[in-house]
Amino acid sequence: MRVFRILFMKELKSYFFSPFGWLIMAFAALMQGLSLSTTMKGFMDVAQSESLVYVVFQAPTFWFYFLFLFPVLTMRLFSEENRSGTLEGLLTAPVQTWQVVLSKYSAAYLTFAILWIPVLFHFKLFTMITNVPPPFTNGEIYGSLLIILLMGALFTAMGCLASCLTSSQIIAGIVCIGFLFIHFLLGLVTLWWGDQIPAAPFFHFISSREHLDLFSRGLLDSRPIIYYLTMTGFVLILTHHVLDFRRWKP
Amino acid sequence: MIEIASLSKRYGRHLAVDEISFEVAKGEVVGFLGPNGAGKSTTLKMLTGFLPPTAGAARIGGYDIFRESLEVRKHIGYMPENVPLYTEMRVKEYLRFRGALRGMKGSHLRTRLGEVMETAGLTHVRRKMIKTLSKGYRQRVGLADALIHEPDLLILDEPTNGLDPNQIRSIRSLIQRLGEKHTILLSTHILSEVEMTCNKVVIIDEGKVKAADTPSNLVKNMRRAGRISVEMKVAADEGETYLNALENVKKVTSEPLRDGWTRFAVFCEPRTDTRLKISELSHEKRWPLRSLARKNATLEEVFVELTRKD
Repeated sequence: MRVFRILFMKELKSYFFSPFGWLIMAFAALMQGLSLSTTMKGFMDVAQSESLVYVVFQAPTFWFYFLFLFPVLTMRLFSEENRSGTLEGLLTAPVQTWQVVLSKYSAAYLTFAILWIPVLFHFKLFTMITNVPPPFTNGEIYGSLLIILLMGALFTAMGCLASCLTSSQIIAGIVCIGFLFIHFLLGLVTLWWGDQIPAAPFFHFISSREHLDLFSRGLLDSRPIIYYLTMTGFVLILTHHVLDFRRWKP
Repeated sequence: MIEIASLSKRYGRHLAVDEISFEVAKGEVVGFLGPNGAGKSTTLKMLTGFLPPTAGAARIGGYDIFRESLEVRKHIGYMPENVPLYTEMRVKEYLRFRGALRGMKGSHLRTRLGEVMETAGLTHVRRKMIKTLSKGYRQRVGLADALIHEPDLLILDEPTNGLDPNQIRSIRSLIQRLGEKHTILLSTHILSEVEMTCNKVVIIDEGKVKAADTPSNLVKNMRRAGRISVEMKVAADEGETYLNALENVKKVTSEPLRDGWTRFAVFCEPRTDTRLKISELSHEKRWPLRSLARKNATLEEVFVELTRKD
């Protein structure tokens, strides 16, 4: 546990003791603020039946910046150590592979989670500085944030896996965005092919867009929660095996 | 300390290490020599648990390198080739991180930090970022990193690679001092370094152990060890005939010098001394003799002899 903590702190420092983490935070806060302000303008022009929170997360810009956060956060994690050779020093210290994987994952995930604090703040600010009754409820805010954290858990793990596969940051980033786009597009299949195809329930089951749709209305569904948690575990185990494969391959 | 039993490593079709076996006793400073691509680094990577062996086994301090990798790693200090470091960290910060990873803490870690930085001569750069350090200083940071937990065994992969002569000298004297307390296995292809620092040499080539002995024994057993250089005032062919007739002489070559003398090179069997016989011969034949010397083989000659391809 102590080794995990040391590695975790080192990774976290590499995000926040350099401009890197702060740049991502600024980018995320900017995009979040932009989607909120454009949505608010939309609310001024046309009457809406949906809540403000729901519409903010339905904007197509959301997926655009959301999916790009992961390669930026994770591409460096393993590929950079691989390229510079520090992985050799790290893995010849008395450190277990799972400690390395989990510490890097946790640091990236915590950084990701921190990126969503501004959203919470934005909506609180909205109620504080306007005298209209808030066009949303707390359930919608917390539901949205919950599904974002759940999706983030899986997507960060996918980024770790991508970073583990190569020693080039750029390739790691491209592979990561590839994973995420494929996962996202699989969730859209039913929009084009309809619900008649036999595999439709499967595509609904893994559709991140539909999950967000549900949770940002304040509805909790246990299936996506289980899905994201188990898939996160699975992808992390895969990452562990990819990293450890070096020690086993004959 | 290290027992290696027919360790092999295959990369696809290429056999990098081919059933090597040797032992390193506690307290020895062993030089691990070989031309580029001989399998030195691969062997060290297997010993430190970074790569698995394809076949064979090795034990470090009684622990199996594959099954008890974690125990092995606790007992070694390893400095990889080219010394990879986290360049965005500061020297002291990096060493503290590495010490903590090895389970050190509190005042013990603090005192050891001070000690290794003193030993490696890093105290005055402890607050600098590693990326601003020169290659020599990075090498020292790597060495301090390998030393911080007072390991029983130090494994150094080309510790003086790419340094200037002054830096080589300082690293070498550091290794010499460390050798008084630690067991050291160091790979290199700088032979003078081995002659000065090591009390045992293992030479490998194409993945096979070619020799494992003390440097002086290796030199003694060399074929060229018995080369004697003689300068006498005699006709070249006449001198060659008589010298060839002497006991233990294998071959004689001659070279007439400008001033009328002739220089002979007399190749003898190893571990024999023919100098007295040659002196007696010159005395008997009344050939003036002005130089008679046995040339000692160098480790370099041993190395070339064992690893050349022709």
